[in-house]
Amino acid sequence: MTESTVILALVVVTALGFDFTNGFHDTANAMATSIATNALRPKVAVALSGLLNLIGAFLSVEVALTVTNAVVKIQNSDGTPKESLTAGGGEALLIIVLAGLVGGIVWNLLTWLLGLPSSSSHALFGGLIGSSIAGLGWAGVNWNGNGSKLDGVVGKVILPAVMSPVIAGVIAAVGTWLIYRVVTGVAQRFTDNGFRWGQIGSASLVSLAHGTNDAQKTMGVITLALIATGDWTDTKSIPLWVKVACALAIALGTYLGGWRIIRTLGKGLVEIAPPQGMAAESASAAVILASSHLGFALSTTHVATGSILGSGVGKPGAQVRWRVAGRMVAAWLITLPAAAVVGAIMWFLGDLIGGLGGAILIFVLLLSAAGFMYWRSRKEPVGHHNVNDEWEGAPADERVPAVAGRAS
Amino acid sequence: MHNLGFALDGAWRVLVAGLALGAGLPILFALGIRSLAWADAGGAAPRPAGRALGYGLFAVVVLGVLLGITFIVATGFGKALSFDHIYPTIVPKH
Repeated sequence: MTESTVILALVVVTALGFDFTNGFHDTANAMATSIATNALRPKVAVALSGLLNLIGAFLSVEVALTVTNAVVKIQNSDGTPKESLTAGGGEALLIIVLAGLVGGIVWNLLTWLLGLPSSSSHALFGGLIGSSIAGLGWAGVNWNGNGSKLDGVVGKVILPAVMSPVIAGVIAAVGTWLIYRVVTGVAQRFTDNGFRWGQIGSASLVSLAHGTNDAQKTMGVITLALIATGDWTDTKSIPLWVKVACALAIALGTYLGGWRIIRTLGKGLVEIAPPQGMAAESASAAVILASSHLGFALSTTHVATGSILGSGVGKPGAQVRWRVAGRMVAAWLITLPAAAVVGAIMWFLGDLIGGLGGAILIFVLLLSAAGFMYWRSRKEPVGHHNVNDEWEGAPADERVPAVAGRAS
Repeated sequence: MHNLGFALDGAWRVLVAGLALGAGLPILFALGIRSLAWADAGGAAPRPAGRALGYGLFAVVVLGVLLGITFIVATGFGKALSFDHIYPTIVPKH
């Protein structure tokens, strides 16, 4: 077993680890509203979402090998790695990818610990941008594309991130407002059951779309690493085991459920009622599908958050916690640079020691960071048992029982 | 700033398509719920017309969702949905 084979194994494991965090970070995008409105029991919701992510990941057979080309220059346009990086067993490329993945995972875990729904795609791209700058210099990043299409960091990452939450929010607000107009005066026994099914259907669609979109990013990264070491040569397809492993990793992550983020999205922003939940998820599903149809890359997290905010704006008399929203937007703004900084530091550390030792050092640092954040999270656990608790922490004895008095 | 132009061009298309599907279908769904409620309203004889209308509206919504799923599956297999003939057809991606 050569040195680069061991590094390759570390890259594959780390990539699957990223895929896993991608899953549990994004469960909330599809299921936060259904859980908050009790349309689905929390455990059932995450199981359904996990299953649909699994199916979705297998549906994405389209080759996603050029996924890194949008932001960094480590691949040729046909998907093969740059020759300058594959000399000597591909170690140069593997270290860049490994450091970038570590940057993405660390940021995903930190935002999860804080309960902030930040974009997993931004974390991955940020990490790769950071490690590419460290390894190749500023010219290693595709900042603005070549002007022929929407491309580069600006076109594929920054502009969609600014626009997509606004678009989704407008659609959800319009939908919510009109739904409430339509059902005013209709007895609750009709609306409750109807919107329950509406929510489940629309949330399922979001889960399926998420599986197809996000799992293939990791598939592309792993296949790129395999090509770099010469363990795979075909640029038109992806090894079956990579597809199976990525699908399982994202589905398992989704099933585990990022409860802290589900709580923020479902309870923190807006007190969601079933009609709002349906409007929000429908808006998310429509925006995600319409965008990928038009080749307009975006983050499901930004879309889902925008939709939920919009459903709060559109419901007459609803309260939106803009402070929570502000915290989220701040997290979005720093996701890319923060993941980039971690990715760059990891690359420098790996390069300092060099070769296999450097790769192992990065990997151990990742494990200790992940272990620390997991340990921190256990001090104040959020799980399916308390995900729907009241957001404002008022003492229990001062509160008027909200449900007991209502006849329904 | 060519990227901004491409992005704005994509953005308004997404907005229009999103409003039609993401807000339009839920509103049809809500109208369906309203029709069913009207069909069963208050003790009087049930109104079959309301029920028919309600389920008709649900059927339109389900068709819309099926279109969405077809789109996901088609994209995954390297095909695209074309609306050139008004009704959707699956064509090879280009």
